Amino acid sequence: MPHDMIALLMFSTMMLLMATGQRVFGVIGFVSVVAALGLWGTGGETLGFSAAMKLMKWYPLLTLPMFVFMGYVMSESRLADDLYRMFHVWFGPVPGGLAIGTILLMVLISAMNGLSVAGMAIGSTIALPELLRRNYSKVMITGVIQAGSSLGILIPPSVVLVLYALIARQPVGQLWLAGIFPGLMMAAMFALYIWIRCKISPEIGPPLSAEERAEITRAEKYRLLWAGALPLVIFAVMMVPFVKGYTSLVESSVIGAVTTLIAAVWKRRMSWVVFETSTRLTLAISCMFMWIILAALSFGAVFDGLGAVKAIEGLFIDKLAMGPWQILIMMQLSYIIMGTFLDDTAMLVIVAPLYVPLVGALGFDLIWYGVLYTITCQIAYMTPPFGYNLFLMRAMAPPEITIFDIYRSIIPFVLVMTFALAIVIIFPQIALWLPQYIYAK
Amino acid sequence: MVLDQQAAGQPSLWTLEMAQFFMVAYYILGGPYAMQMGHHVRMDLIYASLTDRRKAWWDAFTVLALIFYLAVMLWGAIDSTTYSLTYFERSPTAWRPYLWPIKLVMCVGFTLMILQSLSAFFRDIAVIRGETI
Repeated sequence: MPHDMIALLMFSTMMLLMATGQRVFGVIGFVSVVAALGLWGTGGETLGFSAAMKLMKWYPLLTLPMFVFMGYVMSESRLADDLYRMFHVWFGPVPGGLAIGTILLMVLISAMNGLSVAGMAIGSTIALPELLRRNYSKVMITGVIQAGSSLGILIPPSVVLVLYALIARQPVGQLWLAGIFPGLMMAAMFALYIWIRCKISPEIGPPLSAEERAEITRAEKYRLLWAGALPLVIFAVMMVPFVKGYTSLVESSVIGAVTTLIAAVWKRRMSWVVFETSTRLTLAISCMFMWIILAALSFGAVFDGLGAVKAIEGLFIDKLAMGPWQILIMMQLSYIIMGTFLDDTAMLVIVAPLYVPLVGALGFDLIWYGVLYTITCQIAYMTPPFGYNLFLMRAMAPPEITIFDIYRSIIPFVLVMTFALAIVIIFPQIALWLPQYIYAK
Repeated sequence: MVLDQQAAGQPSLWTLEMAQFFMVAYYILGGPYAMQMGHHVRMDLIYASLTDRRKAWWDAFTVLALIFYLAVMLWGAIDSTTYSLTYFERSPTAWRPYLWPIKLVMCVGFTLMILQSLSAFFRDIAVIRGETI
């Protein structure tokens, strides 16, 4: 059988098996070990294990549990309550203000968390009940929380960018800095969308009533503003030494985790239960991700053996005769399409190694491409039928929110994100200016 | 590696390697825990709408694929561990630690994962037969 047929067969078998609902890592792993044994006979069994040993060299992945832990300490200790209250009083009077406040809350949480899980947890435990109580439309709010928390993988610290850095062999520091402005831009676009939408139809997001606003004193407002400083302090303590080159990536992640812990103790929100819950959740979530990466590495190794990189290059350049920009856009489209069916972490590990060499060869900046990649991932995480964020949202949302509410709420935000992606493609400087400015000094 | 070069002060070699070993042990040994707690993601477009009995039927078959994968991983792990033990393989770095301890930990991890999958399998059988464990 020709190699591209084998690759195609592997992909389709994987999709089919995933539809049965078996655990994603098991499906990917199964397809890859069967292919390895089939292709290379005895000796093929070492392929999977070699992939596991390769994991050891991916030492920066040690940051994953640290960043996940930070997020869970934030959500379990309810440190984020004050933050939410701050945005609540400051943005309450604006149409759709609580939803805009939730987006901003998510930006702050993204700055201390490497995935979108913790943002989602905080959003659905703190913001969601409050928004429902205030008669915000169901169709809007789950979208707000999902879109907002997805910023977690774009705004540093981001685990997805660490993973990309390992695959594309690019410096994490620059990638993280490159994610900041696109992330903030996207948050601003979300807020703008919410504001316009609520301006047109106020029943979707009613502002706080005048009586309620009168209850909040000025002193209270300023006291709450201090709460917002906490995540910024933690972010600075972690990021500044890293960008300056005083601490390595993993060391910085440890500093971040310890600082968050200290902050929680200082705010008297830490208890043994909180500590245990966060530690256990961190273990479960980190390992869930890592086993997917483990299986995807085996899958990637088989692809590598089949010479898939050359095949992709041949397909895009020779067979389809496309120019660099067309190829780039085709790649992003293929991610989004694959991302609807495939787990996104797995997609990063399987597909990125195939595309990145070609992107480099076409003369595109790989830092910029990392940002494009991450935004595309964000979109893929939220597009039905299979998006990790959708999956989490369903598990966390109260029963009155149906899966169709969740699907419907996500559409406008996906469009906003696609628009943001287009802007970053057209104006690479949005991503590249900050890392160039800081690292040029 | 590019990532490490960012550090002005390199940590001593042995801490780096110890951290790598701990990382792998954490991830491999934590897998069964994540499975026990039901944290491993599934694509649940169809799956979520099934009844518990139907889910159990599907799972009872597809979990065999999972077990097969894990068995091959364990097979590879045992091969590699035997090699390390026979030749006292060391890591090709300045600190030169032995590699068999971490490989042994990985063997244990895969074994535990298989046991956890078997437990899931028996649970499914019980659900199909309408028994409660």
